[in-house]
Amino acid sequence: MKYSNAWHLRDIILLTLIAIFFGVIYWVIGPLYNVLTVALTPVGLGPGANDVVMGIWVMAGPLSGYIFKKVGSATLGEFLGSVVEMFLGGQWGASTMISGVVQGVASELGFTFTGYKRYDWFSLNLSVLTTTIVTFGWDMIRNGYSKYHIGLLIALFIIRLISTWIFSGLLVKAIVKLLDRTHLMQTQSR
Amino acid sequence: MNPSLKFLLAVLIALEISFTSTWMVNLALAIIGLLIILTSRPPLKRLVLLFFVPLIPAVALAVAILLQSNAGMHFALVLFTRIYAYVFVGSAATLTTSVSDLVMSLEQNAHIPSKFAYGFLGAFDLLPKIVSEVNVIRAAGNMRGQALHIWSPQLYFKAILASLDWSENLAEAMTSHGFSEGAPRTYFKQIRVHWWDWCIMISSLLLLQIALFGLHLQ
Repeated sequence: MKYSNAWHLRDIILLTLIAIFFGVIYWVIGPLYNVLTVALTPVGLGPGANDVVMGIWVMAGPLSGYIFKKVGSATLGEFLGSVVEMFLGGQWGASTMISGVVQGVASELGFTFTGYKRYDWFSLNLSVLTTTIVTFGWDMIRNGYSKYHIGLLIALFIIRLISTWIFSGLLVKAIVKLLDRTHLMQTQSR
Repeated sequence: MNPSLKFLLAVLIALEISFTSTWMVNLALAIIGLLIILTSRPPLKRLVLLFFVPLIPAVALAVAILLQSNAGMHFALVLFTRIYAYVFVGSAATLTTSVSDLVMSLEQNAHIPSKFAYGFLGAFDLLPKIVSEVNVIRAAGNMRGQALHIWSPQLYFKAILASLDWSENLAEAMTSHGFSEGAPRTYFKQIRVHWWDWCIMISSLLLLQIALFGLHLQ
């Protein structure tokens, strides 16, 4: 099926609404992240909480990439999610937008590498991989991950990969499967 | 300050301190951010939260550096203050700007297409409805003995179905009220970029560079 790359008012509203749903969900899991961080801090593994919940933070990207099948939709979906979270009173203020763009571009890359032609289990897995690598690279700079001992670094990477795969891979696939069965998304190609 | 430039400045500062490790600059930025936040007279509860919530990741990162790496006290301090600089500078932008002002400024000053500006704004105003929709979906699930968790695809599926429905309605409503994509518009509320906006932006960035390089060279 051929998908148009132009954004229309309805698409933009739909994308924002989906982003808001995710923004609300991110906001709801904020406390979970904090509790987990507090629990892991005494042994020096506090940052690991970030890797455990990473899959949930980055879900909006691959999902909107998959639903809209347009160039930039994953980035825009994830970015808008972060903007919404910011205005809901998420704990990071305007800096949230940077994470949003990094995560958005990270998940977008998976679709870019397949030339925006394949929207299947393969491109979704590729998106999971690029998301993990790019966001991890960003945390190496921003959160000082690069200074950790190599063993911990590998462990954190694997935790993040698993978390991203479960949420942005398996869960997104399950959601898309449910959506495909409704045949509602075909109206997208108008 | 002009909303677009204000957010751009906050993001640029956050980006720059991600790549530098001078804790004194981070601390100074956090204090400036805090002063700006205080001028907006936030409720006390908000202010307390603003202090304590960043404490969790900040302590976590600092402790992790001390226990799990050889980077030492200095770098731990850098990460700790970096988190506070992020949060206070970021919140200084968000707490002093309303969503609609930011979107209007992005449309008029940054020239993003009006369909994005008003599409976003229209959808954003449905926020309370969305929060209640999430509760409705979960309650409906509970009534059928089906607990919907954060990992349940049905939760997201139903949320997307609701979004599809509302986006269609809202887009039609906006079109029927005369909104047309790409048509020239006049503005009820004009937002301008003044010369002092540029002055604040450029001088803040200059000061930041001087502080960073000055302290780095020492």
